Amino acid sequence: MAFQVYTASLLKEGLVAYLCIDTDGAFWSTELNKAVTTETQKVDTLKALAEQAEKDNIVIAAYAIDVEATSNGISPLENRERIRANGPTVLLPQSTDLNAANIRAA
Amino acid sequence: MYQYSQEDHQLLQERVSQFRDQVARRLKGDLSEDEFKQQRLRNGLYLQLHAYMLRVAVPYGLLSSEQMRTLAHIARTYDRGYGHFSTRQNIQYNWPKLEDVPKILDDLAAVEMHAIQTSGNCIRNTTSDPLAGVARDEIADPRPYCELIRQWSTFHPEFNFLPRKFKIAVSGATHDRAAVAVHDIGLRLVKNDADELGMEVYVGGGLGRTPMIGKLIREFLPPHDMLTYLEAILRVYNKLGRRDNLYKARIKILVHETGEEKFRELVEEEWQQVKTSSLRLRDEDIKNIEAHFKDPEYEKLSDFDVDYDKELISDPMFANWADKNIELHKKDGYRVVYLSLKSRNQPTGDVTADQMDAIADLADKYSLGAIRSTHRQNLVLSDVKLSDLHSLWQELTALDLATPNYNHLTDIISCPGMDYCALATARSIPIAQALTERFDAYDFINDLGDISLNISGCINACGHHHVANIGILGVNKKGVEVYQLTLGGSAREDASIGKIIGPAFTADEIVDAVSDVLDVYLTNREDPEETFLTAYRRLGQGPFKEKLYG
Repeated sequence: MAFQVYTASLLKEGLVAYLCIDTDGAFWSTELNKAVTTETQKVDTLKALAEQAEKDNIVIAAYAIDVEATSNGISPLENRERIRANGPTVLLPQSTDLNAANIRAA
Repeated sequence: MYQYSQEDHQLLQERVSQFRDQVARRLKGDLSEDEFKQQRLRNGLYLQLHAYMLRVAVPYGLLSSEQMRTLAHIARTYDRGYGHFSTRQNIQYNWPKLEDVPKILDDLAAVEMHAIQTSGNCIRNTTSDPLAGVARDEIADPRPYCELIRQWSTFHPEFNFLPRKFKIAVSGATHDRAAVAVHDIGLRLVKNDADELGMEVYVGGGLGRTPMIGKLIREFLPPHDMLTYLEAILRVYNKLGRRDNLYKARIKILVHETGEEKFRELVEEEWQQVKTSSLRLRDEDIKNIEAHFKDPEYEKLSDFDVDYDKELISDPMFANWADKNIELHKKDGYRVVYLSLKSRNQPTGDVTADQMDAIADLADKYSLGAIRSTHRQNLVLSDVKLSDLHSLWQELTALDLATPNYNHLTDIISCPGMDYCALATARSIPIAQALTERFDAYDFINDLGDISLNISGCINACGHHHVANIGILGVNKKGVEVYQLTLGGSAREDASIGKIIGPAFTADEIVDAVSDVLDVYLTNREDPEETFLTAYRRLGQGPFKEKLYG
């Protein structure tokens, strides 16, 4: 069965984020595996939460994507979304201060 | 280099201050994303696949060592330790945070740099020959004209909301190293029979989904009329260019649909309105700008250096690099050096902060503190003494900037593709890397000579695949990345658009397909001097098609 999650970009950082829900309510995480999944026909509930997050200036450009459950967790069906979720598929240039860069990126 | 006036500095500071305020208002929620988007795009800030992307202008590809160090500082402080040189000679940062962008713009402004008009439907960074001012085949230095265009086009109130983006290139040499034929406007400096300087004006070139070669609409434009004539072209485009269809909005479509002759008439008619306006350049206007681009104090040197010759003989690796990555300089005893940003170890055009700092140091040590970026995504040290070449090569080798491939097969232009770009439909960097891996030694063994291979990750053609001898276009076909081959393109003075050779190949097949194309060339070339393009034009598509699909 097809599932969907809601994705967007964080306003402040621009990073890819996914809509999550826990006992405290809705929040956005850069980790796809924390995303709340829903059956396609029930995606309107998530859409409302995503639109509210856009209005609250937490995220921009929200939309739903198709995903599947795999042994490694949630995986987007489309290649573009897999790259968004996992980062560039090539080795990034390495400066000697890579650790600092990674800390900044976190 | 052009040095900013007090007015220039003030202009930049005001712009940064405005944008800082706009960012603060956006973060507070006082501006919606729709309202903010136009502001950020006017300041070179895109939202890409993974993060924001900031495109910084490098006017006509000229950088001082101080500016390069600032670019390194930005990469290290606000990004992930690297930047990417684009085909418009600009640099892009792939991971800045929105709240940091005003600080980045502050740092850039301190060294007379900015991100203004690197995005949006306005006149973009004017590009030029990376050998401007030092090329042996130069008719006149294009940099003063580029600078005049930069000053005229920056914040031009009439052309801030054009139907679509607008790109201008200027070349001043016999050989076109600025791809002027595939720009919205291409200017080529020429001399007439009376030895007077003028410009050929090409309009309506471009790549993207409808690639076209620019049309020569004026064979000899006196330099004093350059800005009034550009104003006239832009006015015609601004009035008549299509705004109803994004894909038909570039000036190339207007020129095509209007017809070359009619378009020329429209421009001439419009020109009569502005020809004698205050935009007409006076002698002193040109001289004032030319004064910023005077030759440095070159030493009087011989064009023969016995130690250099010895090093060429004793060190084959150095000789191979010197054969490929060095060009003659207009002054005896000096050479132009290409720093390859096409190693096996990094994506095309990417430079780490460490490399940027080192390049700045090398520019100070060996090349009068100046660096240039090229539209083929490499860097240039333009004023290196013959006697310094071996030492420079050793230092470049240690920095992984001495891949001997300039204008050779693995000197691949590649857009960021779907690894970074929100518009891309296929990846291009991994294909470029696979090709580099496969053909690095192959080229050395077979001496493929002067050849270009470019890759784009979507139909927008940022990787200039249409004008490569061998072009690759990545597209998405039913969820699978496939790669279409075009052959016979050229971005030089003999500009041509490559033709699709047949059905696309999968990612697994494309490297072998390029190998087949090269086999046909090697088998059929008349002699090693016959370039791939010459051979292709002589042979036609037939033998290539036969090998690929027969």
